[in-house]
Amino acid sequence: MSNTTEIEIKMPKVDLNYSSFKKPVQVSADPAAKPNPKVTIDGKVYDFAPGDTIMQVAERYKIHEEIPRYCYHPGMPIAGSCRMCTVEVEKAPKLMTSCSTPAADGMVVHTRSEKVVKSRTGVMEFLLTNHPLDCPVCDKAGECELQDYNFEYGPMTSNFKEEKRVYEDSTTKKLSDKVTLNMNRCVHCERCVRFTDDVTKTSDLVMLNRGYKKELAAADEERGLFNDYQGCLTDFCPVGALTYNDFRFEKRVWFLEKKASICDRCSKGCNIEVHSEKDVVYRYMPIFNEQVNQHWMCDEGRSSYQSLSNPLRIISPLMKYQDALHSTSIETLLGSISKELQSASSVELVVGTDATCEEAAYLKEKMPEVIKNIRLSYYNGTNNVTTSKDDQKLDNLLRMKDKTANTKGVEETGLTALKNGEVSSEIAILFRSGRAGIPKMKADQKLILWGVWTQEEIKALPSKNILGVIAGLSTIEKIGSFKNTDGILQKFAPAIVHRGNGLSVKSVVSAWKSLK
Amino acid sequence: MGTVNISRKYTATQKTYLWAIFIGMKITFKRLLQGFFLRKNNTIQYPEERRDYSQRFRGMHFISVDKNKTENCTACYLCQTVCPAECIHIIADERDEDNNPDGVKKEKRPLSFDIDALRCCFCGFCEEACPKDAIKLSRNYELAVTTRDDAIYDLDFLKRDVKGRG
Ligand code: SF4
Ligand code: SF4
Ligand code: SF4
Ligand code: SF4
Ligand code: FES
Repeated sequence: MSNTTEIEIKMPKVDLNYSSFKKPVQVSADPAAKPNPKVTIDGKVYDFAPGDTIMQVAERYKIHEEIPRYCYHPGMPIAGSCRMCTVEVEKAPKLMTSCSTPAADGMVVHTRSEKVVKSRTGVMEFLLTNHPLDCPVCDKAGECELQDYNFEYGPMTSNFKEEKRVYEDSTTKKLSDKVTLNMNRCVHCERCVRFTDDVTKTSDLVMLNRGYKKELAAADEERGLFNDYQGCLTDFCPVGALTYNDFRFEKRVWFLEKKASICDRCSKGCNIEVHSEKDVVYRYMPIFNEQVNQHWMCDEGRSSYQSLSNPLRIISPLMKYQDALHSTSIETLLGSISKELQSASSVELVVGTDATCEEAAYLKEKMPEVIKNIRLSYYNGTNNVTTSKDDQKLDNLLRMKDKTANTKGVEETGLTALKNGEVSSEIAILFRSGRAGIPKMKADQKLILWGVWTQEEIKALPSKNILGVIAGLSTIEKIGSFKNTDGILQKFAPAIVHRGNGLSVKSVVSAWKSLK
Repeated sequence: MGTVNISRKYTATQKTYLWAIFIGMKITFKRLLQGFFLRKNNTIQYPEERRDYSQRFRGMHFISVDKNKTENCTACYLCQTVCPAECIHIIADERDEDNNPDGVKKEKRPLSFDIDALRCCFCGFCEEACPKDAIKLSRNYELAVTTRDDAIYDLDFLKRDVKGRG
């Protein structure tokens, strides 16, 4: 494809709630052209596009981290309700909220004047009057915007002597099986409500009552939250009011090591940050990528880290011996299956569409050298998808019907789809990374499994005649690239080190070759 | 890391050690004679007699409990984070909702809390960091154990009754 964009997935310099797609305005070289409007921020002059608010001008020039915010989020409509982002505009009688004040030509803005800092201190003091400050039990501690801004602007003391407000019924309320609400911590920024209204368009969160009693609740109490992007609520909630159940109390965030990778749960290929400690993954978070997933990722992808540490995952080569599979070394396994393969009348290798482009190309090139007369094909097998043409959007945001990551990329290596989705050779080698479907087969089909498999999957196979299992690496443990549904080629590097005896495709093939 | 060799110049008295031995023996004999003739004891009959150490002495750790015998620790990991010897190991968990009279205040609990006293340097940073005044160093200085495993204090041991600071 000629219009392919190549992206290398890297850790972003700014965090998710600050990432924005706004770019500096192009200054026209033609002197006769109408000049761009200009605004002065902290003594520097910046060009902006008409319609920008002050915050967005700052975003264009990457100085937006100077302006604290709670309600503003670059991926959502503007609300202007928290008053944290106030700046001083010369000639304006009072402070202006930078997120919602449109920039005007010739405006002079100060983001750190004495008046501004005093106002921010005031806002912080008000937010903290009713905040429980239970940071020790709060999972957000360490990445909490309330903590950060209080450290920067907050008053050291409080004049509040009254009892703090407590929402009796929503201190630890499960909004769904994924998200828990602690209303006492909420700063009423309403990012979450705007997210369900404008981004997922499910409107499953509402703010009830007003003022002191303002309370967040699921629109349908019985059903709870039902959108497929609930994890995002917990990413951008500036405080620990909304927390993700799978991560709740699992780890303190400051212990986590962060590496960029890609989600392999559907053909969208959302960019993710893998948070791990000592090569154990604790969560995934999205990375802002304007072309692919913007700020979001779906819950299915977010929860997929659990499959990595699944205790039933096979992480060592297994060989059939006396009707059962036993752990062995790769050389022994390959030696034993090579014998079977040589005497077999026909052999085929089915590459799952969750393989990386490099793996698929490598297998296509090298496997015929290892096994003569091997037939190669690819197989998707998720949601009745056969080729990338069957892929379609499942909703208005990210989720795709094709639940493997690289159908396009595997197709481009020149492999053809498996006929009728059924294996027919005497021995079939199934290569997959834990995501592609399993083709149809006869009840006594001889199988060699390769890649990421779990014991449950092996138990569920129609055939019990498994000659061996070659354990492989899963997506975030390997290097490679995926071509997503929009034809964007995304490269990724390993985010964690594989802690088993699984091997990369290259090392398996070279071990196989050196047998002869 | 390599070895660093340091050579020093010694004076003649230092080389023979005799003067140093003489000073040492002088103190020994002084104490001996004091003990014999003046009955002045310089040692105590431990363990029957004990010294009263300062209130600020830092000895064996404990975790304070509330009136329901629930530990005050909320598994915030601050002590684990601050500990310079990296000898605190915590696993956090959610407290059983039905057996938690304190509600949200104690919704998080340590599932396990181990202190490896063999690594601990008794700096007291953990006590200082704890926002709940849960972990404390008692004045108990009798830390001898018979196996290495006993030197790893688990949650049940840490929750033992300690009056005041012990
Ligand atoms: S939301 Fe932030 S400030 Fe509030 S308790 Fe949690 S970490 Fe602390
Ligand atoms: S729950 Fe979080 S995101 Fe929602 S209004 Fe409260 S602080 Fe904002
Ligand atoms: S006293 Fe110091 S070394 Fe010992 S556990 Fe506490 S912080 Fe760690
Ligand atoms: S002992 Fe204190 S500092 Fe350590 S985890 Fe428990 S509450 Fe936190
Ligand atoms: S960020 Fe501007 S008012 Fe909230």
